[in-house]
Amino acid sequence: MRRLVALAVTLVSAFTLSACGSSSSSSGAGDDEPTKVIDITFDGNDVTPNGTDIDVKVGQRIELDVTADKPGEIHVHSSPEEQEFEYDAGSSTLQVTPIPAPGQVVVESHTLDKTLFTLVAR
Amino acid sequence: MTPLLIGGLLPEHGLGGAQDLPISRGLAITGAAIAVAVSFVVLALAWRTPRYDAATSGRPAPVWLSALVDSVWWRGLLHLIGLLALAYLIVVAVFGKDLLINPIFGIFYVWIWVGVPIASALFGRVWRALSPFRLISTGIARLSGGHPDEGLITYPERLGIWPAALGLYGFVWMELVYPHNVDLSPVRLWLGVYLGLMIIGGALFGNTFYARADPFEVYSSLIARLSIWGRRDGQLVLRSPLANLDTTPATPGLVGVISVLFGSTAFDAFRDSTRWLTFIQGTGYSTYLQNNLGLLAFCLAVGLIFWLACISTGVGPEQPRRRLPDLFAFSVIPIVLGYILAHYLSYVVEIGTQTLILTSDPLSNGSNLFGTGTLTVPYWLSYHPTFLATVKVLCVVAGHVLGVIAAHERAIKLLPKKHQLTGQLPLLAAMIAFTVGGLYLLFST
Repeated sequence: MRRLVALAVTLVSAFTLSACGSSSSSSGAGDDEPTKVIDITFDGNDVTPNGTDIDVKVGQRIELDVTADKPGEIHVHSSPEEQEFEYDAGSSTLQVTPIPAPGQVVVESHTLDKTLFTLVAR
Repeated sequence: MTPLLIGGLLPEHGLGGAQDLPISRGLAITGAAIAVAVSFVVLALAWRTPRYDAATSGRPAPVWLSALVDSVWWRGLLHLIGLLALAYLIVVAVFGKDLLINPIFGIFYVWIWVGVPIASALFGRVWRALSPFRLISTGIARLSGGHPDEGLITYPERLGIWPAALGLYGFVWMELVYPHNVDLSPVRLWLGVYLGLMIIGGALFGNTFYARADPFEVYSSLIARLSIWGRRDGQLVLRSPLANLDTTPATPGLVGVISVLFGSTAFDAFRDSTRWLTFIQGTGYSTYLQNNLGLLAFCLAVGLIFWLACISTGVGPEQPRRRLPDLFAFSVIPIVLGYILAHYLSYVVEIGTQTLILTSDPLSNGSNLFGTGTLTVPYWLSYHPTFLATVKVLCVVAGHVLGVIAAHERAIKLLPKKHQLTGQLPLLAAMIAFTVGGLYLLFST
């Protein structure tokens, strides 16, 4: 899904920016919360967490601390925009855009084709 | 390390970004309790003599309305709209870019799968009215002097709507199991095969083929039985949804269609649950294989539970027991619609509107062809999860109540007097299992 991603960004952001605008007013809920830090460890074909639920607040800052034996890609299936992250072997820290509305957001490893966890935002 | 933002539609996980929150425990239990209670109230208090008769029920629609919908130009206009929609779909499939902003994905997975049944519940047999295939077969019949309903060969009655059940399974497999379901070429291939089969089938068997084997027409026409629009001896009549539902023909394969529709929606809820994910990702087998088995198991389980429940009744002499599942299967239609609404309501509003926005830019070059490109997606439902959850539970419970009443009516019509009460119990138990199971999946995922 890397094809012409830049073009997609331009077009989709034009469509969805207006939706973001309305969400900024309600993003206050989780602002005071401490950043949610989620540790992810990749080792060969194994990964932790492996399909669990993780509770977060709407608007809470989310940080992924990744330890990996080889580089890869993580997808965050949020609305209105999906987020894609690349990481290298070793340790890296990824900042996820806070989730603007209540809902469940699936976070997948594209490399392993596995669901890492589901963010349950309330 | 910067996040690469891509469309609101996504790879590897079907369409749609964030999903609804699970419904609360309290709401799930309340819904389930109401469903169970109402079931037994219906059993105890409902009418004891059959109320609905397809031959007499319904009152004629106003003359001007019948004249309008039965006029040649109105029918032609609808088919023409369908033909234009098909042309549009071919253009985006062939010339559109393989990007998530190609509207084909939203049209295929949201408009057709969820939008068409909602439209059918409101307006009747939408797909049949719009179907461009029927226009083609009517054209061929006119040229060759034949009747459009009959083709070269008579459609085998025994096949019933089994081909549609297979086609629907092909769709839900694509939607829920196939990993590359939002790449353009597999969707194009699916639609190409569908188009080819419809044209060949229509040429061979005439319009009967579309009524029995077009998965989307069968789906739409079944849900349309819950609308107020019916036909009696060809005349347009207005009926209560229950009376209209009762006119559903017991075509062979109805159990199959119902099982695929309900089983797949339940599997869609189940496949994202923590339990299933940790299980399949822990076994070491491919998730693709296990999702294949999961979908099949859900559809088979629904079919088997329903089938067993229907045949576990006392029957009269010369009453073939194996015919009962098809005769009762119509009563699951409201349960299916209620569950589909509950499951896909926010999806159809949000991704459905997103798709409407994207349709203005069929070739992904930034154009605003129909002026819909400037619309905004209404995220109101997502911001009001309690309201959304309540509506979902109401849909499930309402579907269940209609289903139980429909089955009760059929039981007192079909079963001999001494088996009427006890004969309903297994089916009632199956329906409660479907509804409580559905609520549990909405609660646990």
